[in-house]
Amino acid sequence: MAVHAPAKPSGSPGFGALVWDMMTTSDHKKVGLIYLVAAFFFFGLAGLMALLIRFQLAIPNNTLVVGDAYNQLLTLHGATMLLYFIIPAGLNGFGNFMLPLMLGERDVALPRINAFAAWLFLFSGLVIYASLFFGGGPDVGWTFYWPLSAKQGPGSDFMMVGVLMLGVSSLLGSANFAATVYNLRAKGMSLWKMPIFAWSIFATSLLSLFALAGITAASLLVLLDRKLGLTLFNADIGGDPVLYQQFFWFYSHPAVYIMLLPYLGIAAEVASTFARKPIFGYRAMVFAQLGIALVGFLVWAHHMFTVGESLLFQLVFVFFTVLVAVPTGVKIFNLLGTLWGGQLDFKTPLLFVLGFMFNFLLGGITGVMLAVAPFDYAVHDTYFVVGHFHNVLMAGSGFLAFAGLYYWWPKITGRLYDERFGRLHFWFFLVGYLLTFMPQYVLGFLGMPRRYASYPDGNYLWNELNFVSTIGAVLLTIGGIFWVIGMVQSFMRGKRAPDNPWGGSTLEWATSSPPPFYNFAVRFPTRFDSERPLYDWPKLGLKPEPVDLRDIHLPAPTAWPFWTALGLFISGIGVALPWTSGGVLNGWLLVGIPTFLYSLFRWAGRLEYDHPVEHHTVTGKSNAWMGMAWFIVSEIALFGILIAGYLYLRLTGNATPPEERPALWLALLNTFFLVSSSFTVHYAHHDLRAGKPSPFRFGLLLSIILGATFFIFQVYEFANFGQHVSYQEQLWAAAFFIIVGLHGAHVVIGGTGLSLAYYQALKGKLDSHNHGTLEGASMYWHLVDAVWLFIVTIFYLW
Amino acid sequence: MLARSLVLVGLGLFTLAFAEGRVINILDPGTAYNREVSRLLVWVMWFAAFVSIVVIGALIYTVVKFRKRPGQEGEPPQIHGNDRLEVWWTAIPLVIVLVIFGLTAQSLVRLSKPPLDAMKIEVTGHQFWWDFNYPELGIRNSNELIVPVGKPVHLVVTSVDVIHSFWAASLVGKQDAIPGVKINLSFTPEKEGNYYGQCAELCGASHSNMRFRVLVVSQEQFDRFVAGAKNFQPPALADANTQKGETLFQQNCASCHTVKGTASQGKIGPDLSFYGNRTTLGSGIWEGKDKDALLEAWIRNSPGVKPGSKMPPFPGLKDEDVKAIASYLNGLKIEGLDFSKLPKF
Repeated sequence: MAVHAPAKPSGSPGFGALVWDMMTTSDHKKVGLIYLVAAFFFFGLAGLMALLIRFQLAIPNNTLVVGDAYNQLLTLHGATMLLYFIIPAGLNGFGNFMLPLMLGERDVALPRINAFAAWLFLFSGLVIYASLFFGGGPDVGWTFYWPLSAKQGPGSDFMMVGVLMLGVSSLLGSANFAATVYNLRAKGMSLWKMPIFAWSIFATSLLSLFALAGITAASLLVLLDRKLGLTLFNADIGGDPVLYQQFFWFYSHPAVYIMLLPYLGIAAEVASTFARKPIFGYRAMVFAQLGIALVGFLVWAHHMFTVGESLLFQLVFVFFTVLVAVPTGVKIFNLLGTLWGGQLDFKTPLLFVLGFMFNFLLGGITGVMLAVAPFDYAVHDTYFVVGHFHNVLMAGSGFLAFAGLYYWWPKITGRLYDERFGRLHFWFFLVGYLLTFMPQYVLGFLGMPRRYASYPDGNYLWNELNFVSTIGAVLLTIGGIFWVIGMVQSFMRGKRAPDNPWGGSTLEWATSSPPPFYNFAVRFPTRFDSERPLYDWPKLGLKPEPVDLRDIHLPAPTAWPFWTALGLFISGIGVALPWTSGGVLNGWLLVGIPTFLYSLFRWAGRLEYDHPVEHHTVTGKSNAWMGMAWFIVSEIALFGILIAGYLYLRLTGNATPPEERPALWLALLNTFFLVSSSFTVHYAHHDLRAGKPSPFRFGLLLSIILGATFFIFQVYEFANFGQHVSYQEQLWAAAFFIIVGLHGAHVVIGGTGLSLAYYQALKGKLDSHNHGTLEGASMYWHLVDAVWLFIVTIFYLW
Repeated sequence: MLARSLVLVGLGLFTLAFAEGRVINILDPGTAYNREVSRLLVWVMWFAAFVSIVVIGALIYTVVKFRKRPGQEGEPPQIHGNDRLEVWWTAIPLVIVLVIFGLTAQSLVRLSKPPLDAMKIEVTGHQFWWDFNYPELGIRNSNELIVPVGKPVHLVVTSVDVIHSFWAASLVGKQDAIPGVKINLSFTPEKEGNYYGQCAELCGASHSNMRFRVLVVSQEQFDRFVAGAKNFQPPALADANTQKGETLFQQNCASCHTVKGTASQGKIGPDLSFYGNRTTLGSGIWEGKDKDALLEAWIRNSPGVKPGSKMPPFPGLKDEDVKAIASYLNGLKIEGLDFSKLPKF
């Protein structure tokens, strides 16, 4: 909306108005709040689960929570902490709230996609928790290893669907961040003058885009096995159960860095602000970050030293795993360098950063120990590992999540918090943490495996150490209570926060606390000497100039992204439940799919801005182009990883094609349809930009028809081939149905995208200025086309 | 550091060996594998100590020295970095990790060579118990792996349902048991003992109750076990009660369990041929007095005492029926074996 009157209605709005405001918003700050509130709520929830786990393990042979109930508890604790707290709090929560502010911008590149991603994130979590009402939660560990995950109760269906939805949300969010960093920065701010937190978000988004395919492939294949018996892992027909773990860890190890990098950015910002010094070795920090992101891709199999892989395979992964310690060390040393020689002001954020540095050092050292494969054979899946990953995730990233929360709390809420509660929170967390997890390292040496619901009496020191660990968990809980009290107290009675309470030097401190919905009413100087503009400008005598609020344009509010996500939520429950009963789709699907499609088309019919707006981007490419380009990276990774799995099975002689194969002539005919449609959509787009609406609409319609023809032929082929060969007995057929089927699903998604553009064209909403949907959809369509050429080669010709 | 010192203190306590009960220790010097791991760890500890002292020292110095003093004015020197330092603190860790990699590689190569003349044993994980088959000797036992001291053993580990992990902590590192995949694991036990074993990969409701024992016995005891097991015939049934037990066993249990030399030849559950020689019940869960105390409860309602146990409850069995089956099982023995005196690790 154009900011005609910046003054918002006075007085606090009613609850209904607040909810409606959140449902319709595309303001990056409110989107960030959705993530932050949800993430810290999930932290509390999963923390209480951990407390229950510790109560169960306080004494030997305890029967408080055992068996599948205990496994549900540990699964939900792990999945919630990792997927719904530690990843979203830093990347999506603080990232959304702070990134545009730090870049001196008014919004992210794709604000409505961003809002949709936030709702989808929340709903994916609700899908997983909904399992509790449909026969029990997932009880297979957050790693959901096949075949356990294929055999256990319905909770796993919900978890797989939730993880898939979360993946989509995560990719959209990451593509948006990458596009934002590329396209939207204050004039004059080069990449090398961005705040280090912006670099962190950027590096993390890239990691996410490249790696997420692994968990998508893993969860998709588990779901397909559960629903259809379709799998690549079944050893009875030549499949490889270890392949599941390759897929899973291909994401889930880089994910460790997704869980860390944003927080390292926060640590650097906090250290710099509270030491009153610039970041030490800014460039080294950035390179270290990119180094971690790169090497982080080559270490995944250190989770798999005990699955019987070859010596060479293990050596390679030992090498890269110890290597990743080097850039990680550089981060810590530079943090020390930043603090060294400063005037340290021991406010709560800095305390958490110092606690992090101490603990992360321990976690780093134990991490290198775990990389020593022979030692890993001994402590893999023991409490040593539990101690290690809580060391890096809880006392590492988790502490920094709280550093970030206290640091930005005044900016986000407009209120100061009481340092006394912050300090109590910190010290209880530090001492509680050490008491909980240091004994667990020792338990690893003494042979206690992880994920144990109970342990016997009489093993040396097991009782004592477990009991101490439980006391530590109680102290952590007390710390958590101080945290909540501190936050509530600040909210109710906290002093009003000034714009810049800590003397920060990045641009988020250049606006009021909390920031107005348009972020800045000024135009910043275009000279950026360092990553600290607010420090540099006064020395140079530069000042931001006020702008006329009427020149500020923001996206119009719309609830359709919310309804679209809600449609997916309802459909998601439907997908998790048995799909049909008595030959009819279940009610959730019958309601969910139409809700989703209807809302999606209505969303497409609502233009982003109410007024014609000119967009300026740093690269000159549109935001839609940039976002889709990054999104496509993730799609290529998804097909890449599945095809790599197929090639592995084929080349090892396990997936040999059956006598009777799908017809080549049909594939070639289909190739013709699909390639033609790529040309027609290209020329249609061309016609649109040339201002020729009639040929444009015809070209677009033709593309859709060609795509539909392709799809119909493919359905025919699937039905035909499926009658001759059973994919449950023939591995090649299973690979064919999975990969070609996934491509078919992409044809449907791409076709839907083109249809959205066509719908916009019919409604007259598509012109040479507003053509983001078409631009994105046509890029996606070319991708679908390219993947098909690959598939023809490896499934039909070979 | 704290972890380190706690570990050292812990290890020191072991060697004093005043601990009662069982001391499980992954660094127990009783196998070549453990000694190799300990050797590696000593190296890593030195580096860890060096890095910890430098970083924690610098951290403490920073916190003490550079705290903001009351009334302090002005700003600290605005230093943006130091390239020479960057090179040093990249290079030194790089050298350290390369040394660690070299040592690890050396160990991996050494450990990957299987010993010669090892006795082959097939280890199969089931939800929630372990099966041990000696193909060269033609014998089978469940939940207790009996091996002679001083002889190399070569395990071939696999699973029939989900992924498990075979781990006898004081003997050797773990190896996953994966359905459809066979993985080798070798070691040579050097001292007699009753070694604790556990499943180390989440496998379902009773993951924590999927334990086992490795009984490392003297060659004389092992030979006696092999001779007795090869041509096992259940001892003559002592009384009418035990006879009734056998009949009931064949009616209710034979479809899943094997008792060698009888009509009971089920393969779904553990082999119970020498149940009387076992040191534990319920897949390594109960030993000693508990083993006898819980047998009847186990027969009556196995999932009631072991969550998720695949053995169905037998509500139809009367108290005296259960007692009869228990007495039959306790009588299934190879004479002359005594595992109760083995030290526990």
